[in-house]
Amino acid sequence: MIINFKGAKTYLGTGGKSLDINKRTLCFLHGSGQNHLSFIQQARFFAYKGYSVIVPDMPAHGFSDGNPCKSIKENAEWINDLLVKLNLKDVVVIGHSQGCLVALELNRILKNSLEALIFVAGSNEIPVNQFLLDLSKENPQKASQMMVTWGHGIDGDMSINKWPGHSHYGEGNNIMCMNKPKALNCDLNSCNDYSDGIYAAKNIKVPALAVLARNDQMTPLKSGLKFVELIENCETHILDCGHFLPSERPMELNSIINSFLSKLK
Amino acid sequence: MSENYKFDTLSLHAGHIPDKETGSRAVPIYQTTSYVFNSTEEAASLYNMEVGGHLYTRISNPTVAALEQRLAALEGGASALACSSGMAAMHLVVSAICSSGDHIVASSKMYGANINLLQHTMPRFGVNTDFVNPNDPEAIKSAIKPNTKLVFGEVIGNPGLDIMDVPEIAKICNSKNIPLVLDATFNTPYLMQPFKHGANIIVHSLTKWLGGHGIAIGGAIVNGGNFDWGDKDKFPTISGPHFALGGISFWEEFGPSALIAKIRAEGMYNFGPSLSPTNAFHLMQGIETLPLRMKKHIENTHSILDFLVNHEMVEWVKHPDLETHPDHEVAKRILPKGSGSIVVFGIKGGREAGKAFIESVQLASHLANVGDAKTLLIHPGSTTHSHLSSEAMKEGGLTDDMIRLSVGLEDINDITKDFERGFKAVKKLNK
Repeated sequence: MIINFKGAKTYLGTGGKSLDINKRTLCFLHGSGQNHLSFIQQARFFAYKGYSVIVPDMPAHGFSDGNPCKSIKENAEWINDLLVKLNLKDVVVIGHSQGCLVALELNRILKNSLEALIFVAGSNEIPVNQFLLDLSKENPQKASQMMVTWGHGIDGDMSINKWPGHSHYGEGNNIMCMNKPKALNCDLNSCNDYSDGIYAAKNIKVPALAVLARNDQMTPLKSGLKFVELIENCETHILDCGHFLPSERPMELNSIINSFLSKLK
Repeated sequence: MSENYKFDTLSLHAGHIPDKETGSRAVPIYQTTSYVFNSTEEAASLYNMEVGGHLYTRISNPTVAALEQRLAALEGGASALACSSGMAAMHLVVSAICSSGDHIVASSKMYGANINLLQHTMPRFGVNTDFVNPNDPEAIKSAIKPNTKLVFGEVIGNPGLDIMDVPEIAKICNSKNIPLVLDATFNTPYLMQPFKHGANIIVHSLTKWLGGHGIAIGGAIVNGGNFDWGDKDKFPTISGPHFALGGISFWEEFGPSALIAKIRAEGMYNFGPSLSPTNAFHLMQGIETLPLRMKKHIENTHSILDFLVNHEMVEWVKHPDLETHPDHEVAKRILPKGSGSIVVFGIKGGREAGKAFIESVQLASHLANVGDAKTLLIHPGSTTHSHLSSEAMKEGGLTDDMIRLSVGLEDINDITKDFERGFKAVKKLNK
């Protein structure tokens, strides 16, 4: 659905169902240079399981207009304001990659009032090399292509996809091309500059789940494992795939999330 | 470790890795109509398009999906869909995008069945087409109307071998927010990848060079994922609510793969032109050697061009790699590896000479196909294009004496020897 939020057209994926504020809401937060289409196989799945689902296109991403947020904190404040506007209270936040950093900051703003946090291919820090930062400014399309290649495991190289006929690389490149040109550079700088992750992770008091990828080259497994150690009682799973876990292992991820959600009050 | 494999490697591997259970190196033929659901919940997920997977072979099949994913990788597309023939692919694209009252701009120099579909069949359903010269970008631009929903052409026209200036036409389509749909059968992704030149949708007859062995009919649609379908008034079938699946908007839910999702949910579901898993396997076997075959096809084509151009019995020869071809410069620019292995030529003596030639050769086969590993010949005026009027034939660049040659992979000396046999028969006739 499209809403006018903070003076800009803002798109929220709802998984093909209407948003019902009386239900538990799963709020999916996409990664750098991504948009709601990162969660093609999660949004509809959970909406049809009876949850309310929102997958916002952050400003300047996907179908949303506006200027991109310039820091992780700004992203988190934007999401917080969105949840207030939509009057959503019973919320589980699921972040992928950069979305995990935003989820960490959002939890700090909301003082652990979220129902749960789910981190997919995440960490408490996502440093970005200078080459990619520069390239994302000079040639965001080329930077996107490189990220799509690095981000996928062997399924990307070999054009293996759970969705018949779909290509991770072809689809991934075009999803990233849907964003406004400045969005990727702002996202990568936001990730690179964010340094409060350790404190935010240690501060988590709500149920937490982390699903990490063994062959992740964007947020390496080693970094993800250090991250989950910071969180008290974080249920952790590792899947054999690359960074784009939601599209590489959709069924396994959905099953793990579903099982985790069923254990929440 | 991500590698970004090259074309030759993808031709062999894309779409399949050996499964852990059986270790099968080759893509298995999943000769099944249907798939056991583990639960009612799983079945519902597949029916609702919540997640990817297979529910019935009319819609998708693991062997066919491996072929589709190989094609998407070779073309650099977002997604692909394989179907029963190239014509089925063409019809699926047109019917997914267009509704009654819509309009198409198409090349006037195309394969007879493509013309028939747009000129005679689709108007019965309220979709009309204006045919224009594919080499005239201004004519294409002028033909676009407010209700035009796609521009269609062949990269290398069949059988006239006109070359569409894809980058120029793509610029026009892009400025008008209309998808450029190309039949890329004659070039294959080995010779040219249309998405790199701005095209949006590709249709293939897999029966030809991609399959390459004349044993299986098949077609495919490859979706570039580079077209914005967001205008709901212009493209309601892709971005507006679908009649089923809770009123899904394919554009909102699938973005770059919206067109393929739409075709799978509607075209494959309601029309049912599915590709058999066994044919998908045969076609993939062909694709494994596509780079090797295409190199040899082009090498033999250039040799046969030398032979025909210098032959006393040949009236004229047409191929875009010849400097005499009107689209030679465009061909050099967009098809630098070669402009395919179809050659058309006229034999001195007209229609009767052509007939005598075709009936006298032994190695080259007289049949209605192209792109086989074997050398093939046909006289379009009396066969593939016989249903067209003289005016339409002329518009398509056809003449009575034209012979269409699909150059095969045989030893070039054996092909030329065979042709000399044909020319000898023509000489006898002319005496």
